[in-house]
Amino acid sequence: MADEILRVEDLHVSVEGTPILKGLSLTIHRGEIHAIMGRNGAGKSTLANVVMGHPAYEITSGNIFFKGEPLEDLEVFQRARAGMFLSFQYPAAIPGVQVGTFLKKSVASVRDDPPKGRAFRKELTAAMDKLSMDKSFLSRYVNDGFSGGEKKRLEILQMLLLQPHLALLDETDSGLDIDALRIVAQGINEVAADSACLIITHYQRLLDLVKPHYVHAMIDGAIIRTGGPELALELEDRGYDWLEVTA
Amino acid sequence: MMYHQMPIPSRSEHLWRYTPWPRIHPSKPDSVPVADEVIFTSNSRQELTEAPHSQKPQGDIARAFLQAAGGSSSQILLHDETEAVHINARASGHVAVGHLHLEVKGSAVVFLHISGEPEWVGLHITGTVHPNAHLAFGFINELDSNTKFLRCEDWGLERDSSLEHATLSVGGFRCKSDLRTSLNGTGSSVRQSVTVNADGTRHDDEHVEIHHHHGHTQSDLVMNSACDGSSHFIGTGLLTIAEGANKSNASQVFRNLLLSQKARAEAIPELEVLADDVSAAHGAASAPVDDNQMHYLMSRGLDPQEAQSVIVNGFLYDAFSNLTNKELLEEMRTRLTVHLECELKR
Repeated sequence: MADEILRVEDLHVSVEGTPILKGLSLTIHRGEIHAIMGRNGAGKSTLANVVMGHPAYEITSGNIFFKGEPLEDLEVFQRARAGMFLSFQYPAAIPGVQVGTFLKKSVASVRDDPPKGRAFRKELTAAMDKLSMDKSFLSRYVNDGFSGGEKKRLEILQMLLLQPHLALLDETDSGLDIDALRIVAQGINEVAADSACLIITHYQRLLDLVKPHYVHAMIDGAIIRTGGPELALELEDRGYDWLEVTA
Repeated sequence: MMYHQMPIPSRSEHLWRYTPWPRIHPSKPDSVPVADEVIFTSNSRQELTEAPHSQKPQGDIARAFLQAAGGSSSQILLHDETEAVHINARASGHVAVGHLHLEVKGSAVVFLHISGEPEWVGLHITGTVHPNAHLAFGFINELDSNTKFLRCEDWGLERDSSLEHATLSVGGFRCKSDLRTSLNGTGSSVRQSVTVNADGTRHDDEHVEIHHHHGHTQSDLVMNSACDGSSHFIGTGLLTIAEGANKSNASQVFRNLLLSQKARAEAIPELEVLADDVSAAHGAASAPVDDNQMHYLMSRGLDPQEAQSVIVNGFLYDAFSNLTNKELLEEMRTRLTVHLECELKR
């Protein structure tokens, strides 16, 4: 069996006293791509945020393990350094901080043997070329005044450079036109080949380009059905009501 | 009116509310100490020359005091300058005062860098930017952390002229600045940015007045402060648009970042608009470091201290973003970087 990267066991999570996740379990191995689909408010983004360690979320019961080790004592930055990456649905803008400076700091913080000087620039240029990103991006301020598509490309650029063991992609496909979606999908496929990948999405169109091994349907804070890629097609076709009836 | 004829301004006045005159005066308000000279030196082919002290009665107490205190008085005439002019103002002794006048008749970039360890420094800068002339002016305050500092500036902009004005205030323990620009000619414009980094018990009061006397004039002010320890920053603005100064366009933004429980910051823009057809906007915000920004940076591997440092540095750099003169922008950012790196090593 492939290496286990993420194991979530009967996870219950609340935000300001309101239960959001209600007994969610999930295991992802290296080389696997999992997709989670569900209605707005089902708890998909909560799952990604709580795995990454967002302080606003309270784990009321259950466990999360990353590469076999419990996560609960690790702060957000320690999770990132351990090899976890979250592509945010709404990445924060950091005015005054240039993208180039930010990427350099981030790579130096996360990677064990970060490339320096010319080696870093070479790697950065190669990654930007893959994503058809112009060099002028580097002197812009992080996500400040970026379009939705530009923000998502920057998220994927970071993922390529940080080389995570686990990539959590929260609606990375939203706000992308079809050409941008294809480019972003290429980036995801490249990272997914040697890591574990959890894609949160509303749409089949990304899953046409990034083939998931497993698709999970989530309703009211729990995964109620797991299937192969065909489940995504069925959800897109039939919606979620039928799952509630059969649950 | 001369200094001794003036009453001490009341704290009810906008200008003197947070830093009353007795708090910025070098000793007792009824005295005028003998001032040493602030020594101005420059790298310019245009020489700094001695200028006669103005005998003109002053309208406010700070300017009248600086006039009464004397000190040095220099002037520089600038035409089209191919290289940036760097003026060093060196202050020493108990009380030091300097007056500097700039006459700008072409395109010039000027940096005024004040440093030294006197107990008290006063500086009065005046400038005229002639028709169709353009000045980019950077002011860097790196005075000793025990120095009390009073700065007054008066700029007059003629028809179709422009001023880009940047302040980096990181020195002195108690600073009061009163910076005034008059847009005296149609088509004139001013872009102004003020960046303040305050720590310990530092007190910095920056007052910026911009007066639109003619139509088709533009102004843009950005003031960012980051306050740590038990420091106190005050940013006040007065923007006036005179009757008939139509098609004027003005904007003022004040942002304060509070980095500790004891740090305080005030941001008070004021507008007086007497013309009908203008665009005038202002905004002010004081807040601690944004949790979402912290979380985002930490999710990229930066520890909490690094993440906060990146956010604060970016916030301070961002105050200069409204500048369009590349030389001014780069130099101000470089000075800020040097300051922040030195601070990190302390």
